[in-house]
Amino acid sequence: MSTFRYLLRDTFRLIFRHWGMSLLTLFSISAVFFLLGASSLLSLNTRHLLGNIEGQLTVQAYLKPGSDLEAARKKVQTFGNIVQIVAITPDEALEHLKARLGNRAEVITLVGENPLPPALEIRVERAAHVSSLARRLVAMAEVEDVVYAGGLAEKLSRLSVFVGRLSVGILVIAVVAAVMVLFNTVRMAVYSRRDEIHVMLQVGATQTYVALPFVLQGMLLGMMGAAFAALTLLKGYSSAISVLAATMPFLLFLRDGALLAKLGVVLVGAGICLGWIASWFAVVRYIRDAVKPL
Amino acid sequence: MDIRISGVTKVFEGDIVALDGVYFAVGAGEFVYLVGTTGSGKTTLLRVISREVLPTKGQVLVGGFDLRRMRYNDLAYYRRDLGIVFQDFRLLSHLTVLENVAFILEAMGVPPREVRDRSGFILERVGMWHRRFLKPPQLSGGEQQRVAIARAIVNAPAVLLADEPTGNLDPRTSDEIVQLLTSINASGTTVIMATHNQYLVDAYRHRVVELSRGRIIRDENQGRYAADVDL
Repeated sequence: MSTFRYLLRDTFRLIFRHWGMSLLTLFSISAVFFLLGASSLLSLNTRHLLGNIEGQLTVQAYLKPGSDLEAARKKVQTFGNIVQIVAITPDEALEHLKARLGNRAEVITLVGENPLPPALEIRVERAAHVSSLARRLVAMAEVEDVVYAGGLAEKLSRLSVFVGRLSVGILVIAVVAAVMVLFNTVRMAVYSRRDEIHVMLQVGATQTYVALPFVLQGMLLGMMGAAFAALTLLKGYSSAISVLAATMPFLLFLRDGALLAKLGVVLVGAGICLGWIASWFAVVRYIRDAVKPL
Repeated sequence: MDIRISGVTKVFEGDIVALDGVYFAVGAGEFVYLVGTTGSGKTTLLRVISREVLPTKGQVLVGGFDLRRMRYNDLAYYRRDLGIVFQDFRLLSHLTVLENVAFILEAMGVPPREVRDRSGFILERVGMWHRRFLKPPQLSGGEQQRVAIARAIVNAPAVLLADEPTGNLDPRTSDEIVQLLTSINASGTTVIMATHNQYLVDAYRHRVVELSRGRIIRDENQGRYAADVDL
């Protein structure tokens, strides 16, 4: 209890002793985590949007007349990455066509017999799966023709990969920046107290006891910076979404409150972890050198 | 806790020989003055005992334990058995007198009530209780040294190492500090004090070990504790 009280007291002493530096660190960490959170939101929204479009992406496989529709459906089911297969008989296809033509449906009666082939309407999990599925369908003996939005599927797939890479790139830059900012802040605090550290080690304080206030300082600054960034970001995002949804109703933005709350928690957790890692490296090596005998 | 130093040589970078084949033993409860000119090796010898310096050659046994074989993590626990007093006091300037004395007990995880009691008792003993809420810069040199001694002995160490503890003090205050160290020694703590002050050595008689160029050239009054030490 006594040790815990000392650690807390010393941690706050470190923060307030160099309050200018602490404030600067808080702003820097907030900016970095804001960038990290914004990139995560961009990535989540892109995936959300792509998910919606992908959900509507279908592949139509037209079978040769007289083919066994149910057998073909079962065969395609084994291909994997498939969300749904709807088997459409020629009669059902004709009914759909009539419904779409409306008043002009009488034209079909001029043809005499039903010219429409049996078909499979297939929905896949991801846009990236469309091309490979189409190739497999074309190779089937009972399939006469395959129709799908190949260009759109490929573009969606490329966009998804690009957004994923962009997010990872921003993540790496943000993590490195956060670690460097926290590392330097704690390192400066260590140097400003190097004489005290030497005295503490000489009179029998353990390395952990000496290091902990610095580590807690890093964790606290990381946590507060990330929390400030998360609050600003999520508040700003909900305001921005309200405006954007009114002006661009055709775009589907992410509004999942639980997911956004999780993002906030992840950011704060990342702030604590990065604060811990950066300050640990900043202080431990210094202490190890300080206790090394001459 | 007895200390045995056998054939210790320390050569620093640049071939600077600080200690040159030193044999030295101190029995539990002894008071030893280390005297000699600047650069004679007094401070290095104290730092060898506190394991801030590792000998280039030779063996250091403290309480039967070989310091060269000490594990990295055991160093803090070893140093809690030593009290160290420096010429320049080295108090933590942002802490009060009471906190300076208490923090080593806090580092050891001593319960808060015991920390208060023991710190208070030690500050009473060194005559600094009335100054407990002041910070080191608000104290005189003699008062700071008293606080430093209180910090060194608050965890009841077996050995007290004092490196020129009166170096920055006036003669009267120096007298008071040596009297304080003598009373600490009387309660059973081994005291090894490096000093230049011949007056103090003559006024308060204890064993005297003189160093010159890293060698022991005189060891007076060795008999009572260390005569049985086989070096």
